[in-house]
Amino acid sequence: MMRQAVGASAPTLENFYREHRSWLENWLRCRLGNAWDAADLSQDTFVRVLASQHSEPLHGLREPRAYLLTVGKRLLINHYQRRSLEQAYLQALATLPETVIPSPEQRWVLLETLQALDELLDALPLAVRRAFLWAQLEGLSYAQIAERLKVSERTVKRYMAQAYTHCLMLEP
Amino acid sequence: MNNQAQTRQIAEDAAHFLVLLESGTASADDRARLQRWREQSAHHEQTWQKAQGLRQRFATLPPELAMASLDRPDLGRRTALKRALIVAALLPAGWMLAQQAPIAALRADMRTAAGDRRDIRLQYGSLLQLDTASALNIELEQGKRLLTLIEGEMALNMGKDVKAMTIKTRQGRVQVSGAELCVRQLDDGCLISVWRGDVELFPEHGPSMRLQPGQRATMSAAQVSPAQPFDTRQPGWRQGVLSVENQPLGVFLAELSRYRPGILRWEPELERLNVTGTFRLDDTDQILQLLAASLGLQVHSRTRYWVTLAPGKASV
Repeated sequence: MMRQAVGASAPTLENFYREHRSWLENWLRCRLGNAWDAADLSQDTFVRVLASQHSEPLHGLREPRAYLLTVGKRLLINHYQRRSLEQAYLQALATLPETVIPSPEQRWVLLETLQALDELLDALPLAVRRAFLWAQLEGLSYAQIAERLKVSERTVKRYMAQAYTHCLMLEP
Repeated sequence: MNNQAQTRQIAEDAAHFLVLLESGTASADDRARLQRWREQSAHHEQTWQKAQGLRQRFATLPPELAMASLDRPDLGRRTALKRALIVAALLPAGWMLAQQAPIAALRADMRTAAGDRRDIRLQYGSLLQLDTASALNIELEQGKRLLTLIEGEMALNMGKDVKAMTIKTRQGRVQVSGAELCVRQLDDGCLISVWRGDVELFPEHGPSMRLQPGQRATMSAAQVSPAQPFDTRQPGWRQGVLSVENQPLGVFLAELSRYRPGILRWEPELERLNVTGTFRLDDTDQILQLLAASLGLQVHSRTRYWVTLAPGKASV
């Protein structure tokens, strides 16, 4: 797919890819400590960069490597986030009694939903995120949340308003 | 008002109403105002529906699974990572790698990062706990009852009917039965502390030795040090605290830095000071602030992950 995308576009794209690919992959491998994920992420990075070239034409890039790194870093953070969510999820699954373990399909649907929500809540400060999750998932009252977080109920209200506003702004 | 600002205003209005309703403080007036607000524009009503959809999405999730995933313990680390990546451009490429654990630890069955602690329930009511920056392999299938501590510290509290188990360390093995104990892998030995049960130490190349409840000893590959008594009632990392009495500050800080991602440094002259107290490990930043206040130190933070302690002006 990658090759087609490159081949079908201007030759500058192919050059761009050839010139920087192994450099980016190397950079990612240093961070990830494994070659497979690095190759995957470097592909993703190029796909993103190519997809966005309408708004920022490649030949107009003054520092292509800096630009690649910006995109690469964002993907790297997402990668770590997905990975850590997945790990926590699998660990929680493993501790469930057998009778309540969801079916394999349900498990994946659930993981995808959780990943989407994780991304949605990502930019929120930890305390705000916790307050919101406790209210939504555990049905805690604001007073109970205030007690757990050792803050006032007023603060909890502010946290909840912040979380709702954030989610409503981001949700399509 | 531009589009973005308008969308934000509507989201804020909706959030305000949601909070009013959820906090149980909404009056009849508030409800009437909400009704009018919803009817006022299609955009308002859409946003309100969106909010209901969002709540619905959470309501249909299995709470424990969702909580364990979305409120996972390494969320703090994630922020650390973001900051680390932001500064990564300024640092040599090897820096991030140097922060990582050795390969054996990366491949372990169970691993905790700096500042993490983890509990695992094993079969038959045994509880296994892993302290900060630790790694452990677990082999409990097919009649095997083996735990291998690769680095860091573990605690095992065995259930009533659990058969004898073996804990392997770099220096030898520990045979346990009906026991509650902690095993910590140090650079040049391992420290075993016993609360309860039968515990026998087998150094790789030396004679074995039994430990009684309330005793601790260090095992090297060649021998076991004489057993020392310790206070089994003093709380520790399993209770989420660091509890010390008259401990030299240098020793305390070395211990504390195990619980912090990043770098903690201190001026050598501080090591003559002593610390007494019980500190919650959840917030090591706060511990540093407490120390600074009570011992008159200065805390210099280049970033949250690079902190240096220096004598305060008063004590110079």
